Amino acid sequence: MPGLRLVSLSKRFGKTVAIQNVNLEIHDGEILTLLGPSGCGKTTTLRCIAGLLTPDEGDIYLGKERVTNWPPERRGIGLVFQNYALWPHMTVYQNLAFGLELRKTPKEEIKRRIGEALAMMRLSGFEGRYPRQLSGGQQQRVALARALVIEPSVLLLDEPLSNLDAKLREEMRFEIRELQKSLGITTVYVTHDQAEALVLSDRVAILHEGKIMQVGTPKDIYDRPNNRFVAGFIGLTSFIEGAIAGFDEVKGCLVVKTRDDLEIRVRASGLKRGQKVILALRPEHIRLCKDDEMARSEGLNLLEGTVMRAAYLGDIIDYRIKVGDWVLRAHTGTDRVLNPGEKVLIAFSPEQATLIPKSASPQ
Amino acid sequence: MSMVRGKLLTRGAEGVLLVLLCFFIFGPITGLVLWSIALKWYWPHVLPQETGLDYWLQALGLQKSLAIGAVSITDSFNTSLVIALIVVAVVMVIATPVGYVLAKRNIPLKGVVLLLFLMPQAFPQQPVLVNLLLMFSKMGLAGTVHGVLLVHLMVSLVFAVWISSAAFKSVPPELEEAARSIGASGLRTFLRITLPLAAPGLLASAVFVFLTSLDEFTGTFFIGLPFVTTLPMLLYSSSGYNLQFASVIAIVLLVPSILFMVIIERFLKAEYIGGMGI
Repeated sequence: MPGLRLVSLSKRFGKTVAIQNVNLEIHDGEILTLLGPSGCGKTTTLRCIAGLLTPDEGDIYLGKERVTNWPPERRGIGLVFQNYALWPHMTVYQNLAFGLELRKTPKEEIKRRIGEALAMMRLSGFEGRYPRQLSGGQQQRVALARALVIEPSVLLLDEPLSNLDAKLREEMRFEIRELQKSLGITTVYVTHDQAEALVLSDRVAILHEGKIMQVGTPKDIYDRPNNRFVAGFIGLTSFIEGAIAGFDEVKGCLVVKTRDDLEIRVRASGLKRGQKVILALRPEHIRLCKDDEMARSEGLNLLEGTVMRAAYLGDIIDYRIKVGDWVLRAHTGTDRVLNPGEKVLIAFSPEQATLIPKSASPQ
Repeated sequence: MSMVRGKLLTRGAEGVLLVLLCFFIFGPITGLVLWSIALKWYWPHVLPQETGLDYWLQALGLQKSLAIGAVSITDSFNTSLVIALIVVAVVMVIATPVGYVLAKRNIPLKGVVLLLFLMPQAFPQQPVLVNLLLMFSKMGLAGTVHGVLLVHLMVSLVFAVWISSAAFKSVPPELEEAARSIGASGLRTFLRITLPLAAPGLLASAVFVFLTSLDEFTGTFFIGLPFVTTLPMLLYSSSGYNLQFASVIAIVLLVPSILFMVIIERFLKAEYIGGMGI
């Protein structure tokens, strides 16, 4: 199965730029997620790949073939829509048979392949049902079966789970991932749900205002966001702004100094003295302590703060802590509750903070 | 206890409404039926003193009649039916593609096109029709079936275009895109997906055109008379003289409407349950 390549793809609607200079390579057999808030251009990108939109600039390659101007029906791409788009006047069988009939598949083979596809989706026996007689989850699986039964070279999924209830959604994530892996089909998955993206992707591409912000494995994206938007979009993140003040030879860390004279050590490289940076901190990486002895001996950053707000969430406590000019979020266990106004020491290791050059940081 | 009483009250109110509704629907029709079979019906009798199918037989040309205003309706009925069927065919051949394009394609001057179709309806009918009569006279179309056909086309086209445009608009674009991406050409997508899903709306539009044409009065009056006599013309000319004949014609005019309503109701229901409301 061929991979997919997008080369400086751009698309405008009137004066609105939907996507701008999108470059992306989806490897053979990989599942890549386009993740971003609504209006970021992820669906536009998907529709360009499917051939439902023609890009204004740039090219789309399917394997070695340049398919930029091919009509959708020539591309052999399977597409699953957010609202399933099953044909209401056809039974499940007819829905699945449509694409095969167009390919002049013999009747016997159509029957066999539909049987297999439905069995794979655990929908055997539903052949004669109309879409309206199925639950949302079943419709979803029929839509998936319909896209897969034609044995497409690439599978595109446009927010396929967003109409399902939370529990089913979580199950379907794994199901789609397993299905994709067992078929080895090159897949592009569009979603605005970061948990979905992290769970089922080989790689994630984060889009913002029509541009790709970062592409990487879920772990890369989460642990090493390379700009402020990605850091803020994926998971909870607190930001501290400052500039590189020097290098701490002993600990092998860069020293970041903020405008309110906080000094923070971060293990990072490739940054120059004086460069303005944003420091991103995950709430789960921040520890709260009363006594600084242990923290100091471990070489952690230690900052003094005041609890502004504490929210009890059952499994964790979500704190907002004022540190100098900055507000940090911290998640801790529930064994000890600090009250608003209490002084606290926060600690985090130089490895777990991420530095983002300020120039590369759209909000 | 109070819930039971409330339920009873609701039931009662529903019953009264139903009776009233039946009265308003079937009352006038009952009157028509009574008049069409009344041979002798003088005041103060509530029901006709003498009834029979004489007027029906005379109207259908099965019995000779000497009554004032006596007419045979078969010719007019045929004229009306043929005109209506031709109008339906022509209008749908025009309205289907136009409706599709207006609903699904971005074309320049969309508003202007719709306005053009609306134009004949935007002015009082009489002056428009008088002008049309003058034009048709010059062209030799006045008093011909062709002239009447054109008038009926003009009257019903705008509604047909609007209804079919709405029918096509109600087909979600994803359903068509799904067909395209699965390998169907644009034409096949139209034939297998768009058209079947828009069919109930198109059928409704066709029925509407049929009934409009069957009922059309003003235009036929100006353009058709005295040579083209459709049923409404006949109804008009006989209603002044003979209420029995008028009643027969009125009932005959009702029949196709009721038949069509039954058919469309069946068809629409099946389709709507079929998930039109996606």
